[in-house]
Amino acid sequence: MTTIARVELDQVPLLARPYFADGDPGPIVRSLAQVPELLTVALPFIGAALGPSAISFRAKEIVIVRTSALAGCRFCVQTHAVVALEAGLTSDEVAALQSCGPTDAAFHDPRERALLRWIDVVAGGGPVSDEERAAVLRSWSDHEVVELTAVVGATLMLNRYATALALPTAPEAVERLAQEGLL
Amino acid sequence: MSTETTDSVPAEAGPIARAVADGVLPGRVWMYANYHCNIQCTYCLTESGPKVTQRALSPETMLAVGEQARALGFTDLGVTGGETFLMPHMPDTLAALSANLPVVALTNGTLFSRRLLGKVEHLADCDVALQISLDRPDADVNDEMRAPDNFRKVTQAIPDLVERGITVRIATTVESIEDNELDRLCALHRDLGVPDSEHIIRPIVRRGRADTEELGVEAAASDLPSELTITDDGAFWGPFGPTVKDGVLDTDLLVTRTTLPLETPATALLGLIEGRPQGADSTLNIR
Ligand code: SF4
Repeated sequence: MTTIARVELDQVPLLARPYFADGDPGPIVRSLAQVPELLTVALPFIGAALGPSAISFRAKEIVIVRTSALAGCRFCVQTHAVVALEAGLTSDEVAALQSCGPTDAAFHDPRERALLRWIDVVAGGGPVSDEERAAVLRSWSDHEVVELTAVVGATLMLNRYATALALPTAPEAVERLAQEGLL
Repeated sequence: MSTETTDSVPAEAGPIARAVADGVLPGRVWMYANYHCNIQCTYCLTESGPKVTQRALSPETMLAVGEQARALGFTDLGVTGGETFLMPHMPDTLAALSANLPVVALTNGTLFSRRLLGKVEHLADCDVALQISLDRPDADVNDEMRAPDNFRKVTQAIPDLVERGITVRIATTVESIEDNELDRLCALHRDLGVPDSEHIIRPIVRRGRADTEELGVEAAASDLPSELTITDDGAFWGPFGPTVKDGVLDTDLLVTRTTLPLETPATALLGLIEGRPQGADSTLNIR
């Protein structure tokens, strides 16, 4: 398979070095490091969007796994399915997110159900109706909807990036998913 | 490192101009005009040779770099390669660049036929110096690391250029040199019309082909001059940055892929220099 080059660990450009301080940062960073000025802007944004924030770890991973599944991104689904388990989601919940199908059987909390409907609308493309916007705003505050929507957008960007460049999933992630029956 | 600003820098000068004036950021901007070469030296940083791809900067790009370098507050330009005079536009481009800032252009000095001498003649009236490599005072020893007949061609070209009023500088790149050999080399360059002030001696840097051949000194970024260096592949920390090993460009000293506007790599480089720990400057005399 043709994949994109990832910088070797002894060839890390100067601006990218802080992101390699703890060892191999994974294929997204190692590929983006080829364009250091892009990396140094993109990573703080990705970190702010996908990392710890006012939105709970669990809700963020619901957004990331579901969005990635809808976008058909093998790398992001597999990588974040493992993170979602760490965030406390059950294997059944993760399987439902990955399926692209209905999620109500696995998710019972009304806020999470509203969130999932919102993700499906936003990540699905096309216009978003007033009713759909009103529905999510009944369960989530304005600033939360802003952030959750931005997380969907950031995830979609990474989905297309990882899919187009055929980034490989870490073997440990694949192994964990196999153990959980999530492959 | 001084933090005082220089009086001659206008108050409205930008951060690059101030950093150059304060000696924080080196004043010279280098350009890799091309990567190919008519010869193939044993210690070549860029693995240059007749068969490598040109990866050339266009004359338009070079002129834009020169103009923007001046506007930002840089003080000098350097042009290197590859063999710069394999690019037919080089004599005119050097003249045009020198209208903005003083230029030093590196050349192996082997291509100065009567025809090319005619084309570079006008550089005598420009602020352009040609830096020619001459490593040893004896043809056989010199040519061993460079190319057959290199010594003869170079020692013929230097006086031809000097005669035409062109400023010639000699660069000697060696692992080590005995006093006696150096004395003879200096006597030779004086004979050729190049004064001591225009002779520089520098170590081989262990990158590119020199690394393959296990030649020269190991150097980290802090050992190497941090002069902004523009190539077809991006902007680098100094002219020793964009080296090639086993046909692959080294990226460990890459600053940005963006080269124009020049402010983008210049600002990124300044940030890196300012973030460098105090006292990290080197004493390896690499230049
Ligand atoms: S060191 Fe200079 S002259 Fe020698 S091969 Fe490299 S580019 Fe050509």
